[in-house]
Amino acid sequence: MAEKIKGKGVISGIAVGNILLAGQNLDGYLVNYKPGRKDTEKKKAADGIVVVAENLKRSIDDFNEKGLKEQAGILEAHRMMVEDPAMSALIDEKIDESGSAPKAVLDAYETQAQVFESMEDEYFRGRAVDMRDVGKRIAKHLLGIKEPEIVGKVIVAGRDIEPSVIAGLPTDKIAGVILGVGSTTAHAVIIAKTRAIPTVVGVGKGIEQIADGDPVILDGETGEILIRPTDKERKSYDTKIKKQEELKAHYAELKDKPAITLDGKEVELVANIGSPDDADAAIKNFGATGVGLFRSEFVFMGKTDVPKEEDQFKEYKAAVEKCAEVTHGEGLCVIRTMDIGGDKPLPYIQVGKEENPFLGYRAIRISLQRKDLFLPQLKAILRAGVYGKAAIMFPMVINVQEFLAAKEFVEMAKMELVHEGKEYSDTVQVGIMVETPAAAVMAPILAKYVDFFSIGTNDLVQYTLAVDRGNAQISYLYNHFNPAVLRLIKRTIESANKEGKWAGMCGEMASDPNAAVILMAMGIKELSMSAPSIPRVKERIRNITFTKAKEILDKVMEMEDGDKIRDYLSTLS
Amino acid sequence: MTEVTTTIQNKTGIHARPASVFVQKASSFKSKIQLKAKGKTVDAKSILMIMSMGLVKGTEVTIVADGPDEATAASELQALIDSKFGEA
Repeated sequence: MAEKIKGKGVISGIAVGNILLAGQNLDGYLVNYKPGRKDTEKKKAADGIVVVAENLKRSIDDFNEKGLKEQAGILEAHRMMVEDPAMSALIDEKIDESGSAPKAVLDAYETQAQVFESMEDEYFRGRAVDMRDVGKRIAKHLLGIKEPEIVGKVIVAGRDIEPSVIAGLPTDKIAGVILGVGSTTAHAVIIAKTRAIPTVVGVGKGIEQIADGDPVILDGETGEILIRPTDKERKSYDTKIKKQEELKAHYAELKDKPAITLDGKEVELVANIGSPDDADAAIKNFGATGVGLFRSEFVFMGKTDVPKEEDQFKEYKAAVEKCAEVTHGEGLCVIRTMDIGGDKPLPYIQVGKEENPFLGYRAIRISLQRKDLFLPQLKAILRAGVYGKAAIMFPMVINVQEFLAAKEFVEMAKMELVHEGKEYSDTVQVGIMVETPAAAVMAPILAKYVDFFSIGTNDLVQYTLAVDRGNAQISYLYNHFNPAVLRLIKRTIESANKEGKWAGMCGEMASDPNAAVILMAMGIKELSMSAPSIPRVKERIRNITFTKAKEILDKVMEMEDGDKIRDYLSTLS
Repeated sequence: MTEVTTTIQNKTGIHARPASVFVQKASSFKSKIQLKAKGKTVDAKSILMIMSMGLVKGTEVTIVADGPDEATAASELQALIDSKFGEA
């Protein structure tokens, strides 16, 4: 049995190779180094800096030629650190102290690294690595150390890998990356991402169990790392790798095909996103035909003040444009208004301590009382609507009054925009999330007022069954196939269709291919999920008839036990 | 001597790449250029000094240029910061 360590998978894929430990120790070389006179050492350091800068320049040109802008940019910053006037002065000072040019270089950059480490901002703290990297690069040159020769494919591992190590290796030589630290903003991770190298971060002390040259298998999805695997373990991964590649190829073929049943019933498969960039990836890589849930929270998080209309407008516009681009102007972008409460307090929203934030002052309940938060968001969405098709969705609605009050804010937002002479779209749809049992029960009435429903199953299941899914002792009760939940969902979809409106789903249930079958039969128009799930669901829909799906639904609605429903559906796939 | 004040607007602040763009630009002028922020003053032609100031979004900075091309230097560097270095 191989030793196993686990971290957080950040770039998916399976990699097999031998370990190349990054972060070479220079102590041995330093002891054997024979320094000359102080002015000779100073001259040596100055000359070394010129040579290292020239070498970097060559790598930068090389990256630029290959169109690898990200890497070129990082090395450009390194080159400037090497040539920095402030550093040469510091190096001279350190030579006066120790008399050795390579040691002085390491000391000088170490001093600077510590300045960065003491900084508050996480990003700048992370740059200490770049400093040490640059220092080491110059010191290695002064000590006459050559970069290691690489034979075959390697998995680069280190507590904290210097970006130049990854940037400096040819892409086809690096199979994977393992980092001891957990930072996803490390330059090493950024580079790995642009090259799609499977990467696991945050293995912590686990890194000490790996030795140079060890054969390992790394799973960039689960974060698992097998050290010195047996032949049998290796074989089991061989099949996994092969399957992974076949599936990838198959899903790639599906990307541009519609989610349509064998007898011609089509369902829209769209994406849940948190930023405009997510929309781009969902459409390009997974064939999403729009966005069913844009979680606008990121606009609100990490800010000390109420986010400005203009800043929000830019983000929403970018997402709306992305949807419009790919689906010939038909791709809808549903933007959910702020869904924040006492569980994630913000400096400008005073919620106070609550016994149960999930039943507390949150989402639409805050928006309706905070015109200063709500209006800028609505105005930003209405303005973004000009650039494609946008929709506004209110979270946590429990009754008609809340919806009507929120709708009045939309009218107010429009009036303000007219007054300010700003362009906006008058055709932006306005709907609600159905995520409380109250909304589902009242669906026939609510459907008269809204333009659409989107069923949020994560909360709907939790509130309907009174089950906290995070509580391990009772999580067995959490099941989106529970007959009570299915009845609420069916009622919601049918109510929308009866009023000529549409219903979609944006909870986790939407990404379950078995659920997709019965939801489709209930008359759902759109399923919104995290983008990587789209191909799986599409595959299921393309291999069944609508007639068969309806038969399955009829059978399911007669069953009384949620667990049995789940089992029954899984035997069909 | 020319002085202009502006605010860092790009999301991630003056990290490695913007800093290198800024220093390259500053180095293209003959004038002596300094950057003042958070009560510190540093050489605007030193990427390390600039980076070690930890200029995150929202920090107010003053560019002080002194020399033959001080006016152009100050206004072009200000424009560079205001352009968010082509980032979000």
